[in-house]
Amino acid sequence: MKKWMMIVMLCCGVLMGCSEKTYEPREIVSETDVCKICNMSIVHNAYAGQIALKNGDYEIFDDIGCLMEYIEANGEGEIGAAFIKDAAKNEWIDVFNAVYVYNKDYWTPMNYGVVALDSKEAAQEWMTKEGEGQLLAYKDLHDFKWGIHK
Amino acid sequence: MKKIGFALLFFLFMSQTVHADFNVQEAINIAKPGEVVHIPAGRYQGNFIVTKPITLQGEEGTELIGERDNPSLRIENTTNVTVENIKLSGKNKAIVANAVDGLELRKLQIKDVHTGIHIQRSKNIRIQNINVTGSEGHYSKKGNGVAVFKSEDITIEGNTVEQVQDGIYVEEVKHIVVQHNKVTSSRYGTHFMYTTDAEALFNTYAQNVTGLMIMMTTDIFLENNIVANHFDFNGYGMLLYDVQQAEIKHNTIKNNRTGVAMQKSSTIQIETNDFQMNQTAIEGTKVSDDTMASSNNFTGNILTARSDKQGFQLVSNYYDDYSGIDLKDNGIGDIPYVAVSSFGQWMVRQPVYQYFVASPSVILLTSLDQQINKTEKNMLVDNTPKLATKHVNEKTKMNVVQMLVGLFLTLSSLWLWKRGITE
Repeated sequence: MKKWMMIVMLCCGVLMGCSEKTYEPREIVSETDVCKICNMSIVHNAYAGQIALKNGDYEIFDDIGCLMEYIEANGEGEIGAAFIKDAAKNEWIDVFNAVYVYNKDYWTPMNYGVVALDSKEAAQEWMTKEGEGQLLAYKDLHDFKWGIHK
Repeated sequence: MKKIGFALLFFLFMSQTVHADFNVQEAINIAKPGEVVHIPAGRYQGNFIVTKPITLQGEEGTELIGERDNPSLRIENTTNVTVENIKLSGKNKAIVANAVDGLELRKLQIKDVHTGIHIQRSKNIRIQNINVTGSEGHYSKKGNGVAVFKSEDITIEGNTVEQVQDGIYVEEVKHIVVQHNKVTSSRYGTHFMYTTDAEALFNTYAQNVTGLMIMMTTDIFLENNIVANHFDFNGYGMLLYDVQQAEIKHNTIKNNRTGVAMQKSSTIQIETNDFQMNQTAIEGTKVSDDTMASSNNFTGNILTARSDKQGFQLVSNYYDDYSGIDLKDNGIGDIPYVAVSSFGQWMVRQPVYQYFVASPSVILLTSLDQQINKTEKNMLVDNTPKLATKHVNEKTKMNVVQMLVGLFLTLSSLWLWKRGITE
């Protein structure tokens, strides 16, 4: 009986090891967290982003523009998951599946004017309240000209 | 006795509100352009609005208290407004100015508000002798002391700001002078973003997370500031991120985790500053080749300079840990000073290593570096290190009196000696 138990436990262990690793966003600590790119401390949590690396480390960003700058510089190879705050709900959402809205007058910590939302409907609702903007997907962010626009 | 006490207490409390029946908004409304509205001492609750060129003048004990989340005083779409000698408080912002051409704010006391002064889309603004004290608590829950957005021709001088998020926050401003201010116990002393043609002179920044935070800014001049005691885990005396054309001169930068840090910046001149007792005096990553630190004094710093592979230039600085000699007697060391440190480079990549900075192994490694790096020719090398903070060439002088006395004593000794022999 003991032998069977051992075999079952071993199989469970192997199966767990084979399963895909999941990555969870971590809470922002305003006292110590600073943006990996620009060094600003994270005080406007509603715009923060984070990347969970495959090695278990987390990189924190104050703005989606800084997160994209990190990806442009380091590639996506080592990224386990990437999260950005939903500007309307203040909840973490997946960077790669988020819907983005750009308007040069939307305020963000780096003033890039790009906010993230979890769906197109949420984006429409955001634009109704905050002013019309341009809808963007993750792939559009690679070519986006980050900076302030006159 | 009891009666007199009660009477005194009565007058103490009532004196604050003795003029509170004065209607501030009505006085503003009926004032003609150019007139002065005197607000008597008293506490006035409300959200007051100015939309014409007038002066609001308070006196000792005049206080405007904002209601709900609206600003205590709003100045909108007008020219030439002056507000002076008033105390302001409220839940959210004390003063908001929007689209104003010509505004002077003087001698104001601002307390217990989220944000002190918020200026936007305005020009010709002067903010002078204002005192802003934020509430207790972490800076992430607060607003800024003085914030200026999308404006031009701004002077902010002689103000004292403490316990806020950013003491002076400047965003998208053209031509601004920030001088003789003191900012303490906040996140950033002064925070410039997307600003052009800026000056920060004679300010004191102490015990903030970072003294001067300068981001995406072009053409900035930082002179005669005292930047001290920014030693948090993420603390900097000055941090320049994506800055073009900066001159940093005659500043005292002491007791910071990093004195001056430059990232992604170009054409930065760091001259004639005193770097004292910083953990790292200067740090540079991704800075242009023409970035230079010259004629500075480095005393008591643990690491003088660290950088990525690109490095920056060190020219004619004084280093207290320089061990060379000056056989030519020209005040310049005969061998180059090499600031390259293996540990310093690691610290650039992993700031958490700072906790090992004075450990025995790091001291040993740094000593080894100093021996090995003597062959380093390019990166973080000062080929003309100064041997003293001030080099004075002594002229050969002759003191005739001293010479005559010496000659007399020598001859006397010889005479006595000769006499001793002959006798």
